[in-house]
Amino acid sequence: MAVAALSSAEIPAAASRRAASRARAVRRFKLTLLLPLIALFVFLLVPVLTLQLYFSFHQWTVYLGSWWDADYVGLDLFQSVLTDPRFGWAVLRSLAFATGSTVGCFVVGFALAYLMAKPFRGHAVYYTLFILPMLTVPVVVSYTAEMMLYRNGPVNGIISALTGLDFQVSWLADPNIALTTVALLEIWNWTPFSFIIMLAGLAAVPKEPIEAAEILGASKWRIFWEVQVPLLRPVILLALVLRFLEAMAEFPKTWALFQGGPGSATETLPVYIFMTTWQYFEISKGAAMSYIVMLLMIAIVLVAIHLLRREKRSLDLMYAPHAADG
Amino acid sequence: MARRSISRRHFIEGGVGLTVANFLPGTTPLAFAATMEERTVAAAKSAGPADVSGMIWSPYLVPMQPVIAEFKKQTGIGVGAVQDISIFDAPQRAMAEALSHSPQFDFIHIDSNMIPSLASAGYLEPLDEYIKNADFHYDVVAGYDNFMKYGGHTYGVPTDGNVHIQYTRKDLLDNPDNKKRFADKFGTELKVPETWEENLRLQEFLMDPSKDLYGSGNLRNRANGVTWWYMIFYSAGGFPFDDDMKPTLNTPAGQYAVDIYLQDKKVNHPEAANWGTPQMIPRIAQGHVVSCQYWDGTCKTIKNPQQSKTAGQFYFSVVPGSNFTGKLVHRSISSPLAAILVNKYSPRKAQAAYLALWLGSGKNSIPIVSDPVNAFNDAWSNAHFAAPPVIDAYTQDGINAIKKNFEVVAPPIYLTGYLEFQDALAKNLSEAYVGQLAAKDVLKNTEDEWTKIIGRIGRSKLKQDLASYKAAMPKLAVPA
Repeated sequence: MAVAALSSAEIPAAASRRAASRARAVRRFKLTLLLPLIALFVFLLVPVLTLQLYFSFHQWTVYLGSWWDADYVGLDLFQSVLTDPRFGWAVLRSLAFATGSTVGCFVVGFALAYLMAKPFRGHAVYYTLFILPMLTVPVVVSYTAEMMLYRNGPVNGIISALTGLDFQVSWLADPNIALTTVALLEIWNWTPFSFIIMLAGLAAVPKEPIEAAEILGASKWRIFWEVQVPLLRPVILLALVLRFLEAMAEFPKTWALFQGGPGSATETLPVYIFMTTWQYFEISKGAAMSYIVMLLMIAIVLVAIHLLRREKRSLDLMYAPHAADG
Repeated sequence: MARRSISRRHFIEGGVGLTVANFLPGTTPLAFAATMEERTVAAAKSAGPADVSGMIWSPYLVPMQPVIAEFKKQTGIGVGAVQDISIFDAPQRAMAEALSHSPQFDFIHIDSNMIPSLASAGYLEPLDEYIKNADFHYDVVAGYDNFMKYGGHTYGVPTDGNVHIQYTRKDLLDNPDNKKRFADKFGTELKVPETWEENLRLQEFLMDPSKDLYGSGNLRNRANGVTWWYMIFYSAGGFPFDDDMKPTLNTPAGQYAVDIYLQDKKVNHPEAANWGTPQMIPRIAQGHVVSCQYWDGTCKTIKNPQQSKTAGQFYFSVVPGSNFTGKLVHRSISSPLAAILVNKYSPRKAQAAYLALWLGSGKNSIPIVSDPVNAFNDAWSNAHFAAPPVIDAYTQDGINAIKKNFEVVAPPIYLTGYLEFQDALAKNLSEAYVGQLAAKDVLKNTEDEWTKIIGRIGRSKLKQDLASYKAAMPKLAVPA
């Protein structure tokens, strides 16, 4: 086959065409991968969000007519939600619950991950045991806990035996403790999630900085605080954010154990939204409430993304000189 | 008018024709049906065989199955797919079905107090025509069938009466030492309480927390506690709305009811604020309670030695009443009153309706309400009160008490928006019980919330509903 000689001007032009063609192929490939997600968004999420938006701006009283005949009320429902003290309390309870349980999950999960970071005999057995709570259905967690948390139940009994005191806490009936009870159950249920993420993070930490610190005579404590934790910051942030978002949406345990009570001690956002929508059948107010909560969650996610990017940049900067040296 | 002569031949042919027609399917049984059950079968046959689908909690369904099997044998109508949902979660699911006009369930088994809400949402099939076709009659105590009626139509068939009766410990009351101490202290006889005040005094006197014996076994959790409040409120002459649908809770009768309701804290278990039936029934049956008002099915549990340590140790009687109006008035409550309702959008609504009538016959439901193991369906029909298996399950004293309480039984808020109204009151009562809200604010806050609900649902619509609510209220002050 005869090969035509290319002029010096034609060579970069051909290369640029190839590059453009490759870029198009990469774009097509990315689009193909994203297509199911886009389809899911367009066909499932968009109609639901649109309908919910419609309800948020229309007062539909379920007993009086069909939803398409509902009266347009503008922003009245949003105003009604934002001026509803019960909603405000529900936001505060959810934030307190999510913060407390996230910190609890993280601290215990990180501690377990640190203990499990280096292999030892029986490692796999402990690993299985530690992730078991996450595999337990939340409602089962609630009903099992209920039996253990009565005033005369085994939990108070064990604490009394260990401390020698007559420990008589009403985990389930005291409105000042009820939310803490759910938070403790949440920590038990979801610590494995933080544990797995932190274990993966610890496994990915480069060994060189730790070895260098050891050679320089740094204590284990100092290595942990000054080498490992800074390197783990993006993973820590991810573990905290994901757990926090999940905790904000916690419903099954709270509902199964308390249904918002005693009093209104456990009326968190998901509980209040459920009650508004399906107990009081205020579908429109429930929709407006859900939108406000969605905006709150989006704000939290945006802050989290911003922080994650900042962490990534700082890590990149930390490694850049080593890369140049290499 | 043209005059037509009838020949002897035509007369004989007509007679033969009528005789033949009488034996055709769908006509014969009607002509010959004698009992209500036979008439129901006859009417059901005309609807054709089908397996109907339903939403029902399995503890209710299990004892119904032999009765359903018999109906299937006789008519070809049985129960196919079933969604097993707790009676407490059923209202939410039923309303979702109503809003989507779903034909998924042919029948739903649910608290009948949801009838106004579900009928207003257009979900319920009126049963009047089916009742007429089968010449069905509710064999119940005075006016209890009004619990199934709304807006001039009948919508449900009860399967579980769920009336509250009074349980008082016989062994403690009859103890000579207790009798003497009580007489010495109060100058009056220790006996089954007639009023709420007597009940509290007795509970306080006999309780002994050091022996894990508490005065009260009443529920005070957010989900159920409100049921007890209605009894006190109604017995004090209260009714929650005036004729113009303005809330009338914040009245002396209402405050009296809140006061009695909250005093229970002195005599109930410290964890009662979050306890429901799964916690309280075992305590009653195991002897940790002096007295309480509870659903009538607990008679069966107490009597069953495999589930109880207190068999024979309880007096069963009418719930306490009040002299608040100047004369003694007793008011019991039936909630949740489990009933079968039929979906208007169902393609098999006739079959579902006739199945409901079959299950709602007093005679057919005797094995259902007397099942000692699956004890969720409680006696409600006059036929039950005379049936040996039912008497055996509840004891004669239990049956007498149930019957008397039915004479003074009232519904909770029997209006469109029942759950909204009830939960607002329940939340405020629960907050007051645990100290989150001052007792004086319970009724004021509830009235404010109710006014908003009335505004949303519509005052004129609710004013129409009031007639059905009032019709369901008992007429007797004290059982005969």
